[in-house]
Parts: sequence; structure tokens; C-alpha cells
Amino acid sequence: MTAMLEVDKLEQRFNIGGGFLDRLKFEKGRLRAPKRVVRAVNGVSFKVNEGEVLALVGESGCGKSTVAKTIARIHNPTGGRVCIEGEEIQDLTPRQLLPVRAKMQMIFQDPYASLNPRQKVRDIVAEPLAEQTGSWQQAHEKTEALLARVGLNAEQGGRYPHQFSGGQRQRIGIARALSVNPKLIIADEPVSALDVSIQAQILNLMMDLRDEFGLAYLFISHDLSVVHHIADRVAVMYLGSIVETAPCDRIFAKPRHPYTRALLSAAPSLDPAKKPKQLELSGEVPSALNLPSGCCFHTRCPFAWERCAVERPVLQDTGGGQEVACHLLDEPQRETT
Amino acid sequence: MQTKSDSLLQVEDLRTHFHTFAGTVRAVDGVSFEIGRGEIMGLVGESGGGKSVVGFSVLGLIDPPGRIESGRILFDGEDIAGASEDRLRKIRGKEIAMIFQDPMTSLNPVQTIGRQMDEMLRLHTDLDKKARRARCIQMLEDVGISQAADRLSSYPHQFSGGMRQRVVIAIAMLAEPRLIVADEPTTALDVTIQAQILKLINRQVREHGASMVLVTHDLAVVAEMADHVTVLYCGKVVERGPTREVIDDPRHPYTAGLIASIPDPSERKHRLDQIPGAVPDIRNLPKGCNFQARCPRAQALCSEVEPALSRQGEGRLAACHFPVEGDPA
Amino acid sequence: MMTAFFSSEFFANYRRNGSAIAGSIILVFFAVIVLAGPLLVSQDPYDIASLDLMDSYKPPAWLEGGDPRYLLGTDGQGRDVLAAIFYGTRISVMIGVSAMVCSLLLGTFVGLLAGYFGGRIDAFIMRIADIQLSFPSMLIALFLMSAFGTGIDKVLIALTAVGWVVYARTVRGQTLSEVGREYVQAARVSGLRDGKIIRRHILPNVTTPLIVVATVQVGTFILIEASLSFLGVGVPITQPSLGLLIKNGFDVLFSGLWWVSVFPGLFIMALVFGINLFGDFLRDELNPRLK
Repeated sequence: MTAMLEVDKLEQRFNIGGGFLDRLKFEKGRLRAPKRVVRAVNGVSFKVNEGEVLALVGESGCGKSTVAKTIARIHNPTGGRVCIEGEEIQDLTPRQLLPVRAKMQMIFQDPYASLNPRQKVRDIVAEPLAEQTGSWQQAHEKTEALLARVGLNAEQGGRYPHQFSGGQRQRIGIARALSVNPKLIIADEPVSALDVSIQAQILNLMMDLRDEFGLAYLFISHDLSVVHHIADRVAVMYLGSIVETAPCDRIFAKPRHPYTRALLSAAPSLDPAKKPKQLELSGEVPSALNLPSGCCFHTRCPFAWERCAVERPVLQDTGGGQEVACHLLDEPQRETT
Repeated sequence: MQTKSDSLLQVEDLRTHFHTFAGTVRAVDGVSFEIGRGEIMGLVGESGGGKSVVGFSVLGLIDPPGRIESGRILFDGEDIAGASEDRLRKIRGKEIAMIFQDPMTSLNPVQTIGRQMDEMLRLHTDLDKKARRARCIQMLEDVGISQAADRLSSYPHQFSGGMRQRVVIAIAMLAEPRLIVADEPTTALDVTIQAQILKLINRQVREHGASMVLVTHDLAVVAEMADHVTVLYCGKVVERGPTREVIDDPRHPYTAGLIASIPDPSERKHRLDQIPGAVPDIRNLPKGCNFQARCPRAQALCSEVEPALSRQGEGRLAACHFPVEGDPA
Repeated sequence: MMTAFFSSEFFANYRRNGSAIAGSIILVFFAVIVLAGPLLVSQDPYDIASLDLMDSYKPPAWLEGGDPRYLLGTDGQGRDVLAAIFYGTRISVMIGVSAMVCSLLLGTFVGLLAGYFGGRIDAFIMRIADIQLSFPSMLIALFLMSAFGTGIDKVLIALTAVGWVVYARTVRGQTLSEVGREYVQAARVSGLRDGKIIRRHILPNVTTPLIVVATVQVGTFILIEASLSFLGVGVPITQPSLGLLIKNGFDVLFSGLWWVSVFPGLFIMALVFGINLFGDFLRDELNPRLK
């Protein structure tokens, strides 16, 4: 069976520092224009099967949103492959991408920035379908049903986004994504900007839609409790690489990578007494402009030793569908608490 | 100090309104609470709940079109709700310190942090220059900034988000304030950094025996930090009590709904419990209880009479006609 | 629609703002002159047949020797100064507004390209803009006019060449910030290509700040055109703007025949003053940072 989405050694780099003149500077007595490259994603591979929810988890700057936006071809990947139902899409032109867009849609993080303030809700929702069919009329025929499906009424279609609350705006964004009947939805932190009580509403809506339409989700989030609730599988990212991936229940029950464990124990809990044992991290995430050598995590890892600074660990299968990229797997005696 | 009492801060029937073109926003409408000495109180609510405005009111930082309409804010027995700007300036920083969500709002981007810290001490203490410097270095080390002496000459932008928040905490604690108002101090930070900062705030507050108002939308943060919790909805207190008891056994349906809608890591349900609907328009609040339209327990009475805060057992208050009956978990 | 406007915050602030009201009264006065000017005066100042040399250099009506037919006096050819001003105002305003529209269109187009595509296109366009801004705009206009010769169409070209930069820069900046916003990314995910994204999503969201720039620029253009005409490189003698009227009277200004020059000058001043008053109000209202 071909996977709904397959990502293989995806790489994304951004040149920053602007044009030649902006980068120009004196260095060691010579005039140079050094390139500054952010290595946002460094060889990420994963699969999402039909109807599956894969959560990509990590802290800000770990590249999870970049992965999402590269798959959606908002950015063009600088390396690796992206396949939608077996079709490689990383090199397609915008024109060739159009049929792919009917299979894959996206929900964005910020309900205030993701809707054009000058467009009526009806047009926002109809736009992807209008682009596919070439007919606004045909697209508009469907909007009423779409709005109803996400819990808004037809009369609200004539209004502008600013007349809606954050939760309602996120519903509009979901209706827009649904308009072309996609099979895969990339959800980039879809609830992190919402109030807790509204978060639950949107998550429930997303789960209902999944059951109803057999959707697969690539769910990007920094919030582990949300992920635990919605995901079938979880992949944890740190500085542009996946450090651990496992079925959802397993990663919460038996996290192996020190970073995953730290992440799980750091999240505040309603019942602090029931929390897993603290694995506290020191320091902060290094800059993606200047990645650490070897294992990216070694600068913060409480167990790191010389090998970690030299050799970059690769994902190893540890059974039960769990894969971990950590040298501790080879030398478990190093783990001292 | 004639009215020496157990509480350091006592807010009584505070009303802070904003008079905008589109109508009066009753951001805070009759809020009362008190904080004991050395106690941390969580002020929880969703956006539009008025929690930040309470914090700003206590600091006397309400600007037009906002105004404190009525109510008293007793800080150690002194009413500071109507205090002069002069008096407030003396209190702010020295007696009451603040920590904001975005550290850049409280740090001056064009001054070194050493200078900003020094100024704080010059304003509020009579230490000499050398002693001030020593104290600044000591304080930076206390909040976990290494090479503190060198870091004094750094500018705020040279620190990362987490480090900046540490600097803000260091500045806040410099003058040994008795009360700290922290407005979403970790919301902008990543979880692993948030854990570090929360721990640091907790330690600093407890060590100095200060009290703190912790304004946050995150009940889990409150659960880890606060002794007492006050839940706000549409500018009104809906529930108050000791944190553990409120979370384990909420009485107000809003608190209960809020807790239920947080995904529980120990059990996976197919659907989360959700509070239906959205927060009503604060310029156009319904008659009766503000929560009625979203409340599973609402009855005819709720749309007629606004519920007042009533006792719900030892040290607990809730504003509900039909409170959730205690079913201790 | 109208009631919505009258109950809006914009209108409420307008009613409270004295200088905005003063500015708009001045502008209404000039609008009447522009639209109905020829109907308000009895003489067509450029119809040679209606001029009478016997009436030359009559002082304003309230002075000794004044003629009640010529409220603001006459010039050397017996032309009614008021009539000449009314006709001249039309030309000045028409040039100012058309040049503004041309600059707006060109600048917006170029700014959208630079901001949206970035890279070399952006670098190229913005360097031209930088070079352009490093010369006084008067100098550029003067240079172009002396190269092209006089004529209303040439004045328009010169003013547009001077004026597009400010729109290009504003639009580029605004576009840069809009391009990064998620709704533009959403449009891309919806399958829209660049042209449609720019037209449907970016353009409607970058225009608000242009209203202020455009308003104030009309005033600036009127002044530049007046200076060009005063220097004799602007409009042709057959279609005199206010600037040219000042020039025409300037030779006799110090022979006691001051009215020929001074009244057109006062009109220009009032016109630009009114535009600026209203422009300041718009700036305060439409600038989200001041809210």
C-alpha cells in the first residue's frame, strides 16, 4: 500500500542576511559577503498512512512548522523527496501542483492572520474549490454545506472575518481546507492560539471530520497533552531532526530519548503529583544557524558524553514501532540518575 | 498600620471599565480577593476574562480610556486604588514588582541590563555604587545567569527569550518587593524553558517570603504554582478557593468545564469534554448569569438573577445558583 | 450604507476635529470652483473677444478706481483676475490629481512586484528609487521639463517620475509584511498563482496607507507644478495654472499692481493648506499604530 504522505530525507535551508550588499562586511582585513544559512530541517523522513494522524512535536525553532510548510509547498524543499500517494511533488511547478492541492490542504495556526481581512467568509471558504473547478458559482454552491458542517450558518457567509471570534475563525479555516475534499490535512498548530475551552471544541471537530471523511492529519504541535489526545503516532523533533517516533500510547508510556522524556516531564500538569519523574534540561536550544556537532541535543542532554559531540545518532528500531536516535541505546549503562 | 491583618493585598469590589467608542467595556466588574503574606494566588480565565486588567489595576497602570470606577485595593492596609501617581511610583518596583509576558515590554532595549538593574537599586535603596553592583551580580547568579559580571554590560537583545525572562525576574526581585504581579510570565516560552522559569519564580518568591498574583490562562501552571486560585469569567469572580480543592472538586460549572476540556494525559477519550459556544460580547452581557448560555446546568432562574458569590464549604466561594455538587475524585 | 458611515467612529472623530472640518470646508470651496468655476464668472478669460484692453490693470473692486465687474481686479490684457484664478485652479487641481493617480498606479504596481517577488527585481527597483530620492524632486522635474519642453502632458510625466517612489516604497513595505502572513500562504495552498494572489489578496490589504500619501501628494504636486510654471517650464501660456498666473503678474508686482500676482498666490496657499489639514486628520485616523 502506498502511503498517503511519504517524506524522505527532507531538507530545508534558508539563506538569510539579505542581498549581497547587506551581507558585505570586513573580516580579517578582507571584504567578504559570507552566506548565512539557517538549517531548519535536516533530513527528516516519515510516513502518514490513509486515515492516520501523525503528530510532529517539538519546541519553537525545531523546524516542525517548516516541515509542514515545505510539504504543502509553501516553501520549495532544498533536498529530499515528498510523495503524495506515491507521486513525487517536490519538483512540480505551481501549475502541476494544482491537482495535488485537491488531495492535500492545510489549516493554519493564527486564526487572525490566516484569513484575508478583505474577503467575505463565503469567498474564503470557496476559494480552493473555485481554483480547482474554475467556477466560483460551482464552488459557492458547496459553501453553505461546508459552513454548516463546521458549525456556522449560511447567513454568516456574507460577513468578514473580523466579525468572528478566534474559534469561529478557525472553523472557517477548516471549512476552507475541506472544500476540495482532501484526503490529507496538514494542521500547523491549529489550536495553540485558542482558549482552552475553544481548543476542545476545535479538536473534537477535527476528530469528527476525520471519522466522517477518513482524513489523514499531519498534526504539528508543541502541546503534548493535545497530541496525546489526537495522534495515532508521534514524532518528536529537535533542531531540524526527528529524535524519536513511536505509536502515541507508547511514547507517553515509554519515552526513550532524553529529550522526549524532558519534554514530557516539563509540561505543567493539573495533577503535579502524578507527573513522571523530572528530567530537567539546562540551557536553551542552540541556533539553527550554527548547529552543534554530532548529536544536536548533546549541549543540553544530562547524559551526554564524548561520543555524542562527535557522532550523529541515527534512528534505530527499538521494537513496537518505536524508533529512537540516541547513543544511549548502545550504551545504556551511561544513563545515570 | 492600624489595620494589621493576615492578608497583604485585599481587593474589594474592584471595577475597572474601558470607555470606548463602541460602548463601555466592563473588563473588571466587582472583583474581590485577598492574598495572604507569602502566598501565591493564581488568577485564571480565558481571554476577555479580565485577569490582566486586574493585574494592571493593582499596579495602578490603567490608562485612558480605562478607569478604576470603584472599589478598594488595600495593600498592607493602605488603599492604593486612588493613590497619587507619586505614591504609586514609590510603591511600584519597591513594594510591588511586575513580570510581564513579553520581557521586552519591561526591558529598555537601548540600555544595558546592568544599568537598568542599577537604576532600580538607586531608586529604591541607599546602597553605594559598589554595593549596588555586587547586589546586581548576586541577583543575576540567583536567577541562573552564568558569568553575571560580564552579562551586566549586555543589552536585552543579546539574551534569548528564556534568559530575558530571567533578567526580568532578577530586576523584579532586586528591591525585595513584598508583592509580585506576574502576567502570563511563561506563555511566550517553550515548555522546557517554562519549567525552568516557573521553578525559578517559585523559588524566588518563596525564599524572599513575598506574595504573588499569578495571572495565567493555564490551569496546569496554577496547579503547579499557586496556593489559592481565583477564576474569572467576563470580569467577574466565578470561583475562589484553595488550588487543589478547586481543581479536584470544582463547584462552578465554568471551572468544571475548563478543567474537563484540558486533555488528561492519563486517560485518552475519543472526544474531549467541551464548553459549547463562545464567551459573550463583553459590551453586551446577558441578564442574569454571564455563563448561562454555555452552561449545562442552567435553569430559568439563571437568566433572571445574577448569582452572587456564596460559601461552598471551608474557605471556598462560587457564584452559581446550581453549583456542581461535590464528588471528590 | 450612509447611516453606517454617519454612526461610525471615523465620522465621530471627524466631528470632534476642528482642523479636519476647516480643511474639508476649504476643500469643498475649491471643489465648487473646479466643478462649476466657469459658471460663476461672467468672462471667459481666454476668449480674446471678450477681453477689453481698456479694462487693463483695474484694481480690486473695493479700491479706488476699482470696477464692480472685476472683484479682484484685472491684468494687463483686461482679464478678470478672479475668472483667471477660477480657470487656473481647475488646471492646477486637474494636474495635481491626475499626476497623483498616475504615480499611484505606477508606484503601486512596481511596489507590489518588488515586495512580492523580492530578490533581484526588488533590488533593482529599490536602487532606482534610492537614486531618485537622493535628488531633490524639484531638480528632477526641472531637468525633465527642460528636456521635454512645456505642456500639460509633459508636466504629468515629470510629476509621475518624481512621485511614484513614495508609493513604491510604502507598498513594498506593506507587501513584505503581508506576504509573510498566513492568509497569503493559505492562498498558495489553495492553488492560486502569483498574479491572483497579488490581485486578490495582497493589493486590497496594502492600499489603506496610500490614501494618506495620495491626499498630501496632491498638495505637493500642485506646488511643484506651480513652481515649474513660475519658472516658465510648466504649462503653456494658453492653459495657465495658478503658478503661471503668479508669474504673469510677477513682472508688475513691484509697480503697485500687486493684485495680479498676490490673489493667485493666496488661492494656492489656501488650497494646499486645506489639503494638508485634511490629510493630517486622515493620517491620524488611518494609522493603526496611533490607535
